[in-house]
Amino acid sequence: MQFRAIFAVGALAAALAAPGSVGAQTLNVVTAGDQNMVDYVNNYLGPKFEAMNPGVKVRAVGTGPGDAGSQKIYEKLSAQQKANVLAWDTDVAVVHQRGAATMVNEKLLMPYRNDVAAGKLVSRDTAKNALGANVDGYVLPMFHSQIAFAYNPDLVKNPPKSFAELTEWVKKNPKQFGYNGVKGGMSGVGFVMGWVNAYSTVGDKLEKGPYAASDRAAIDKSLVGLKDFNQYVVMTPGNAGTLDMLNRGEIAMGPVWVDMFYTWQAEGKLSPKVKLALPSPGLPGQPMYYVIPAKAANAALAKKFIDFAESPEVQADGIVKQFNWYPGIDPQFVQAKLTPADWNKLFTDISPADLAKNGRPFPLSDYFTDIVEGYERVVLK
Amino acid sequence: MTDAKTATASWRAYALVAPALAVIVAFFVLPLMLSAVLAFRARDGGFTFEHFAKAWDLYQTDLAFTIGIVLLSTVLIGVVAIAIAGYLTLGENPRAVAILRWLYRWPLFIPFIVTGQIMRTFLAKNGMLNHVLIGSGLIEPLSAQSLLDWRGIVVAFVWKQAPFVTLLVAGAMASLEPQHIEAARNLGARRLRVLFDIVLPQVRGTLLVGLVLSFVTMLSVLSVPMMINPNSPTMITVDVAYRISTLSDYAVANALCLMSLIVAATGAWFYLRHAASERSQA
Repeated sequence: MQFRAIFAVGALAAALAAPGSVGAQTLNVVTAGDQNMVDYVNNYLGPKFEAMNPGVKVRAVGTGPGDAGSQKIYEKLSAQQKANVLAWDTDVAVVHQRGAATMVNEKLLMPYRNDVAAGKLVSRDTAKNALGANVDGYVLPMFHSQIAFAYNPDLVKNPPKSFAELTEWVKKNPKQFGYNGVKGGMSGVGFVMGWVNAYSTVGDKLEKGPYAASDRAAIDKSLVGLKDFNQYVVMTPGNAGTLDMLNRGEIAMGPVWVDMFYTWQAEGKLSPKVKLALPSPGLPGQPMYYVIPAKAANAALAKKFIDFAESPEVQADGIVKQFNWYPGIDPQFVQAKLTPADWNKLFTDISPADLAKNGRPFPLSDYFTDIVEGYERVVLK
Repeated sequence: MTDAKTATASWRAYALVAPALAVIVAFFVLPLMLSAVLAFRARDGGFTFEHFAKAWDLYQTDLAFTIGIVLLSTVLIGVVAIAIAGYLTLGENPRAVAILRWLYRWPLFIPFIVTGQIMRTFLAKNGMLNHVLIGSGLIEPLSAQSLLDWRGIVVAFVWKQAPFVTLLVAGAMASLEPQHIEAARNLGARRLRVLFDIVLPQVRGTLLVGLVLSFVTMLSVLSVPMMINPNSPTMITVDVAYRISTLSDYAVANALCLMSLIVAATGAWFYLRHAASERSQA
């Protein structure tokens, strides 16, 4: 499998080294995440930035969904660092929290927040802290995404307000709740994290630390309940699989990414009747970060690009209105740039107050590993 | 030929295969050895079985599941391939033979990931298959169930790989001496009898090779189990992808890869044994 990783990095390098950089400046943006991330840069952000900066060409490459996508970017930057390359061919990268934490730790990134005007517009804790790692100054959140329960109101009149209510609900309505385990995408992983947060005695420590390996026992204990819970639910094939099954009426409720949910509804792939709910004590969400590699060839241009991407106008029109993500900068700057209808669309089912109360970060990296491995050991075996 | 001439000739032969050999060593043998080394290397650089212990502890069910699914699929592929190739060789209705010949190859040109995608909507609880069965009154709506578990994977594998084996077997059957079949038919043997007693024994080798190649191919498919049933129990490939993408744990992933390599090697052993016996006969 090492070979595949090397191959992927090689393919990436080949894609980036393609001709086109002579004369005009080319800004290379490498983004982890689904195809919609690449589309966002190529179809929306890039053309606007190119129009404002004649002679500049923005080129985006995607490295694939989930932490694996960030891992590929990390492997590429790390290889260039070890080879003592002077100018790295990635100018802007978009990565997940775990990736950002590793990259800051290994000095692969450049601090830039104080160099861009938009750096003052961010307010959430995630701009400083990525799963317990200090990333202050190195990152700006591009957007925030959140996991929530999607449910069919024809079948579920009163969606469960907490994990305890959910546990009761699935016993009364067996095989009506579906999620995608830990191997089929992050919405299922997020649900398991939410479960452990709700039912284990370690609670807040998962997010704030300090990490202790001895907490594994408490985590495993809470997962025993999940094994029982799983007898009453359906396992779905992936993030999209949960939405598919909801749409075909095969399940009545399941955890999904909020932005994916809204995008599917806007594209007519999901019934407009399906609604969202965020139970207490909460489900995790995460930002994607804009970062600049430590030796980016076009660092000045990269800063300009990120400053533009974080401006309230772009955050309002691109992030919120077109792609249905929660903004990366403080919402108050974004709300002013949107019509009340567009703003409210994002908060129809989940109010800003609920989001603030029940929108949680993912657990610290070590706890994260303990929980997914505990799931394999306790729930799956 | 003199000795000097032989030496030049063999030197030339080596030079000719060198580029191909270099590619195999650099891109196949070397990564394979790296993978094996990493599977046994502890965090401090020493030798360890820890990764294998963890892989066995967490994934022994998946390993058994993988072997079971792939074996079952191989058997079914054999049955389907014999049925189709047999009809192509012994069928008496030329139009039916022509249609079948035209139809059966289609899945050959469809990638595994597309097969997975097709099956995902086709076999779902409220998917097309159940809609057809309910619409034709064959099953009650309430008894409709999702086939997106091990059965879905088997269906996808057989659908995709049977044409490949059929292609090989039908080719071998077509190259048989037609007199054998005609003689048996003249003596009053029925077609099924001809298939099992005259045709099949002669193409047994080709059938075995096709099945072994399918077995090894299916063992390494990630897309189909990922799309149809990535949850427990699932196939080893999904676990390998998961160890790397979610936990960036190459060590356990490499251990899992070596385990599936051993399973694939038993297939290769069959293949080599057959190839050796062919050579000794020739």
